[in-house]
Amino acid sequence: MKNALIFGYNDYAFEIAKNISSTYENVCIFKLHDDKSSLAKEQEKYKIYGFDLSDDWDEIVNDFDVSESIVFCTLEDIAKNVFLTISLRDTFKDLIIISIAQGKESASKLELAGASRVIPTTETTAKIIVDMLEKPVVTKVLHSILYEQNDLQIAQIKVNKNNIFDDKYPADINWSREYKIILLSVVYEDMSQEFIYSNKAKHHPIQSGDIFVVVGYDKDIINFEQLLGSRV
Amino acid sequence: MLKFLLVDIAYFLNTSNKYAKIKLFFYDFLENNSNKYKRYFDFFMITLILISVVILIREVKFHVSDELLFFNNFVISIIFLIEYILRLWLSGSVSTIIIKQNEHDTMLGNKFKFSKALKDILILKIKYVLSIKAIIDLLAILPFFHQLRLLRLFILFRVFKLFRYTKSIQTFSSVISSKKFEFLTLMIFASLVVFISSILIYAMEANNPASSINTLFEAIYWSIVTISTVGYGDITPVSEAGRIVAIFVIIAGIAVFSFTTSLVVTAFTEKLDEIKDLKLVNDISKIKEFYLICGYESVAKDVALKLSSNFKVIILDEDASRIELAKKDGFIALNYDPGSVQSYLKLKIDIDTQVKAILCLSNSDVENVYTALTVRSINKDIFILSILLDGANKNKLKFAGVNELLYEKELVGMIAKEYVGQSVAFEVIHALRSNYNGIDMQEIVINDRILSSFSLVRDLNNRKYNIVLLGVYKKDKKVFLFNSKDETVLEKGDFLLIVGDEKFIKEFDKYLHKRQIK
Repeated sequence: MKNALIFGYNDYAFEIAKNISSTYENVCIFKLHDDKSSLAKEQEKYKIYGFDLSDDWDEIVNDFDVSESIVFCTLEDIAKNVFLTISLRDTFKDLIIISIAQGKESASKLELAGASRVIPTTETTAKIIVDMLEKPVVTKVLHSILYEQNDLQIAQIKVNKNNIFDDKYPADINWSREYKIILLSVVYEDMSQEFIYSNKAKHHPIQSGDIFVVVGYDKDIINFEQLLGSRV
Repeated sequence: MLKFLLVDIAYFLNTSNKYAKIKLFFYDFLENNSNKYKRYFDFFMITLILISVVILIREVKFHVSDELLFFNNFVISIIFLIEYILRLWLSGSVSTIIIKQNEHDTMLGNKFKFSKALKDILILKIKYVLSIKAIIDLLAILPFFHQLRLLRLFILFRVFKLFRYTKSIQTFSSVISSKKFEFLTLMIFASLVVFISSILIYAMEANNPASSINTLFEAIYWSIVTISTVGYGDITPVSEAGRIVAIFVIIAGIAVFSFTTSLVVTAFTEKLDEIKDLKLVNDISKIKEFYLICGYESVAKDVALKLSSNFKVIILDEDASRIELAKKDGFIALNYDPGSVQSYLKLKIDIDTQVKAILCLSNSDVENVYTALTVRSINKDIFILSILLDGANKNKLKFAGVNELLYEKELVGMIAKEYVGQSVAFEVIHALRSNYNGIDMQEIVINDRILSSFSLVRDLNNRKYNIVLLGVYKKDKKVFLFNSKDETVLEKGDFLLIVGDEKFIKEFDKYLHKRQIK
């Protein structure tokens, strides 16, 4: 993916832009023509385009390679955000669209409108708050693994053909001691995910195409990757 | 010499922690409604009162055993006497009065005026002795002098003591007293009607041989029976003039009756919210541990719902409509301003022991800053978590004393990053966090009991329970030892971060807490 197209001219859009700018060549923010707000500082960093909900997206097709783009719909007016999502999906069938929603109701509407992934802001915030109170250490550690820059990382590694684990069972191997990584889950070809000690995982030998979700230090993950396959 | 001795004793008592503790203990026991033992004491006293009354009723026509009479006249009376003395003692501090007078006199260069202090003490104590509750208490003790036959009827005064111990009677009397003026007006009206109608009926009927009203007392009796709408019918007017008087008294009676009913109903309606709030505050003061959520808006609703499955949640919001909504959602909610110190004082809670954390979840940074500052001004240690609406206000909330901040927009940005980077891994972690398919991520705190059997990571045996040990969080050093080595030493306060099936986690937790035979 080369392009990240963020629709919405607000704090959500700029926070997303800030976080993904290292991943994409082009990070562009689209501002509604009738949006009079101004966020001066951020304006300078990113390319700002104008758009209208009645657009037929010709400009986007001309300016960007849509097959190499990901879209974020972050309009704060939920009705407009749903309309934007449905309008984009109608035009671009295979585009990855990530939309933000406030409540559960708007999240389900966005899913129906064709969003590939919906981030329910209120629910997610509430969930994190509850986790911070009920499981403060877990939350802190996960936050550090997921979002902070440090050696400890989470990675997804695809099993290639002819690896040393072929036909072995994931639960039988002491990953943490032998390879210094912790294997959390296995994602199968049908994209169903199983915890390594679940019944299915216990009876499912390792096969090429499986994706391992592992946590470990950078160097250990690289070593493990060489044994198993490639990072995805 | 005696004066100096008294001053010394007063200073000794006033500075003695033990004495203060004892006094506080008895105060809590007798007067503090939030004291958990008070209800047992109240129940005990109510039982004694009821026993007393039952014995009195039984004694009217039947023989009551000497043991029961002894119990009634001596044991119960002595218990009441002890209670009376304790309440008299608690009604004010004698030592403080002596010290104040002594310091006052010393400051002015005068000799200590004991008589002045004694006068103040007497005024204070007499004031208590003459209060209605104290008079009832005293009269309830009088049956102790059982030789005085008449005084036995004072047992009935024990019934009035119920006012002290039953909250509903106290509530009822406080509601009625809120309409004192109206009831007084009604009473004056009713008395006037009784007075006039008694004289009129007496004048109309007393000389009539067929009438049963012969005396003024009978006339007053008839008036009261008629105005109260009871109307026994044992005395009735026979003359036409007497019957006309009766018509007026009956009409007045209906008016008095309806007016009284409407007064009581109005008083209750007006006080209903207050009574409900008081009961709620009382209930809250008895909750051992709860989260206090300030503001009931979007995020707060979700947080309250999620937290309430494992913990008690109390909601404060100054907006009445939001409080109504919170109540409809099944939460304990009070229409108190979370930004006012007064609200926390009215709640009668001990923030240190009862409140697990205060959550500032209003949809306004201004309100959250104000709430955090208010809470911090009354408690330095309580954990405060707040949401941040505008990134520019981050420092203001930190400065206000918030321990943890959650900036929703930043969170969305980070989630987006993780999602576009490693969507599968992100989904896995999301599923683990949401207890998907029964797989959960938990933390187990290492306590003495676990330490007595497990001192090293090697000993934990987590693989037997199909549990993945992510690592050990060292509380002292605040570091997370990922994939902790077998020889890692476990210490009190450390956390084990584990992933596994919910049921196995419970079993593993049980196993850790069960003393192992070495």
